[in-house]
Amino acid sequence: MPLESATRAVRTGLIAFAFLSYLILIGIPGRIGGPALPVLALIAALFFWLILRRESIGQFRQVSGVGQDSSEGKPGWEIGPQAGANGSRVRELLPSRFGTPLVLKGLVSGVTTGLLVAIVSGIFATAMGNGVAIQPVLDKIVPLNIAALIGVSPGQIAQSDVSFIRFLVQVLLFAGAGILAALVAAAGRNEPAQNALTGRLSAHLSGPTIRSGGRFAGIALPFVLLVYIAWLGLPGVTAFGTNEGTVRLLLTLIATGSGLFALRLCRPGREKLVVAVLLGLGVVTMPFILDQFQNSVMGLVFIFVMMGLGLNIVVGYAGLLDLGYVAFFAIGAYTYAFLSAPFSSPYISSLLILLGISPESPLLGYWMALPVAMLTAAVGGVLLGIPVLRLRGDYLAIVTLGFGEIIRLFMLNLGELTNGPRGILEISQPALFGLTPVDVTFGLLSSQGWIFLLALVSSALVAFIANRLNGSRLGRAWFAMQEDEDVAEATGVHLVRTKLLAFAIGATFAGMAGQLYAARQINIFPENFSLFVSIDALALIIVGGIGSPAGIVLGALALKGLPEVLRGVDEYRIVTFAALLVIMMIVRPDGILPSPRRRIQLADPEEAVGDSDQETGEALADGDGGKEEDQ
Amino acid sequence: MTALLSIQHVTKVFGGLTAVDNVDLEIAERSITSLIGPNGAGKTTLFNCLTGLHRPEVGEILFNGSSLIGLRPDEITERGVARTYQNIRLFGRMTALENVLVGQHLRLQSSHWSAVLRTSRQQEEERAAREFGRELLDFVGLRGREEVVSTNLPYGDQRLLEVARALGSRPLLLLLDEPAAGMNPSETERMMDLVHRLRDEKGVTVFLIEHDMKVVMSISESVAVLDYGEKIAEGTPEEVRANERVIEAYLGPEVAVEEAAGNAVD
Repeated sequence: MPLESATRAVRTGLIAFAFLSYLILIGIPGRIGGPALPVLALIAALFFWLILRRESIGQFRQVSGVGQDSSEGKPGWEIGPQAGANGSRVRELLPSRFGTPLVLKGLVSGVTTGLLVAIVSGIFATAMGNGVAIQPVLDKIVPLNIAALIGVSPGQIAQSDVSFIRFLVQVLLFAGAGILAALVAAAGRNEPAQNALTGRLSAHLSGPTIRSGGRFAGIALPFVLLVYIAWLGLPGVTAFGTNEGTVRLLLTLIATGSGLFALRLCRPGREKLVVAVLLGLGVVTMPFILDQFQNSVMGLVFIFVMMGLGLNIVVGYAGLLDLGYVAFFAIGAYTYAFLSAPFSSPYISSLLILLGISPESPLLGYWMALPVAMLTAAVGGVLLGIPVLRLRGDYLAIVTLGFGEIIRLFMLNLGELTNGPRGILEISQPALFGLTPVDVTFGLLSSQGWIFLLALVSSALVAFIANRLNGSRLGRAWFAMQEDEDVAEATGVHLVRTKLLAFAIGATFAGMAGQLYAARQINIFPENFSLFVSIDALALIIVGGIGSPAGIVLGALALKGLPEVLRGVDEYRIVTFAALLVIMMIVRPDGILPSPRRRIQLADPEEAVGDSDQETGEALADGDGGKEEDQ
Repeated sequence: MTALLSIQHVTKVFGGLTAVDNVDLEIAERSITSLIGPNGAGKTTLFNCLTGLHRPEVGEILFNGSSLIGLRPDEITERGVARTYQNIRLFGRMTALENVLVGQHLRLQSSHWSAVLRTSRQQEEERAAREFGRELLDFVGLRGREEVVSTNLPYGDQRLLEVARALGSRPLLLLLDEPAAGMNPSETERMMDLVHRLRDEKGVTVFLIEHDMKVVMSISESVAVLDYGEKIAEGTPEEVRANERVIEAYLGPEVAVEEAAGNAVD
């Protein structure tokens, strides 16, 4: 191993340690408790991976030659500073095609970090054992924190009863993290984006056998998780002690997300159909298994899935950046509230008396109110759409942003109509033929479970409609408009109609989501519909992958579900979440599960074209990844 | 032969610049007409006026007997005028076939509800549209490239795809803005052959802007010349080639006389 790369590996280890020591100083290990050490090791692995991954990409580009870059239309110097400018680096990186030096680098980095962690925690533990007062200086360095870091009980620290083996385990764990990071980094090299996590990892490990094993494991994973979640739900069975509820929520999120990955791993045709049906059944049973809290989180997640799918039509398909999407959500929610809550404004009452209806509440049940809420939201969509027809890009974003705020301020200040900041209370719950499902199922389905179930079914419906529309001539017109508005018009696309349809359909879906949200919340207030709802909806489709329904579900799971799981680390919740998002955008800039179109755009031309001779060229360039393709 | 397109006194002004100045032009049905002129002569502006991207200040444009002035671009396309662009403007992330399908957009009838329900009529229409799209790609010489994303096509193929997309709307008149720009000799040959076949097999009237004089002279039945927005000459290729004002516009007044002598020798 050349000295230069060894130094670099050590430096990586040092930086990782610097980051970890910050986490230790703010007392994170003590908060996590038992699994603190593995968690820290995983964080270190993530960091190593981010570094190693870049090295492997730099090396790949270098090996693959220059021709590819020019055909991609990227300037050649873009990769220069990383690999090309440094001659010695190029030579050194070439043999690492087969992954070994990468693993060695990961090992060196890991051992460096591990040794430092062991030394520092050893010093602290010894000091504490001898009664040195550290806390006045570093207030979070308490025995609990250090004990979690070493993996012993606080009592053992106080009695200086810590075996040397504990520190060895620390070093080994971090060394393992380094190796893992190197393996994943080597595997991730220029692999097509559709290889999901498991497929990716297994594709590296070796030939087709293991790869198909990985595929099988990927497909089986959500089912295993689902069974496990169900088992956890049986009375008397607890697996994770006090945190069981959160763990189960996390597992539910992972099961749903991995289900979507599993669908991508399936071969199209019967296999996919069978897996999809089984997964659907599994997901539909979830509301019956989960408790009230977990159901309420999942319900919110799927309400946001509906929002995301609707916004995706406007932003992802038609390419119109709408930052005021919350407006339609609010319109849907308030429409249902007006129709179903005991509150009635003098305006609405007098209107009803005029129409000859007695103003007794609730006026309409959930199902009867659904078309009204959808229609009102659609009208709102068209009303917003008309003034912004001529606006593009930034200007469109600003105006729509304003529209979102206008609706909220409307609800806030039109006290006589909307009850202002006091909100609308006691919104009635969705029933089925006059019965609430809580009664019908003898309590098996909680009230939040029922909302979750409704959200699931509605999301499925919305996804179905959105997908069908996207595959039709309307979807093509939307996409053409996104690509080049002028040319689309000159090619025969009626811009006004196409744009307004996008706004109206998107708004309709948001209206559905808003109505369900109102039913979930029971009481709604104007501050439920702040700008942040729009931002959340937009963020989840970007994180998930613009234009991809499956990605949107994943985005909602990550953005609305994960923060609830992270409640355990309270004040660091948002920081942790932000860090996860940043990492996500570095690792998968086109979203977790990008749409095929995005992938086409971002992939190398060779991959997308798929010509046989070009693939051979890629295989030569790709080193080990390409060889597996040939086998 | 009757005039399919009749441009009468069309004038387009940008600020103080008269880009198209009182141009009169008639294009006969099933003819191939070229529009030439130095850079900045207003050729593309005239095309933009024809397709509704610009609205001329003065003048009338009659297509098939009815006026195109004030119509939206998509309405003009619906009447049977389609075009390609000087700097290729395909829907880059769509496949070749999808590009042609967008071209057919306004010839498809099925409602959006039927797309959600996938009615048999909608399915049948989609199938026919795909079939027609493949036919058109085959016609321009892009067989087997249906599923290639259009930005990944070679340059010459992208120009051909633009023609196929324009044909998707089943036009009567096709406006080609420098179809052979940037092509090598064999690609140019292909394009010229395609223009002929467009007229002979599809019955499309072709009106094209071109800089390559070899193409212009061999392909066109009539040629119009613009300079500083004005039409300075019109006629058969031979007539235009001998026209002194044309030579002057291209080469400047002092060489015009020499050049005229040279042309006579050709």
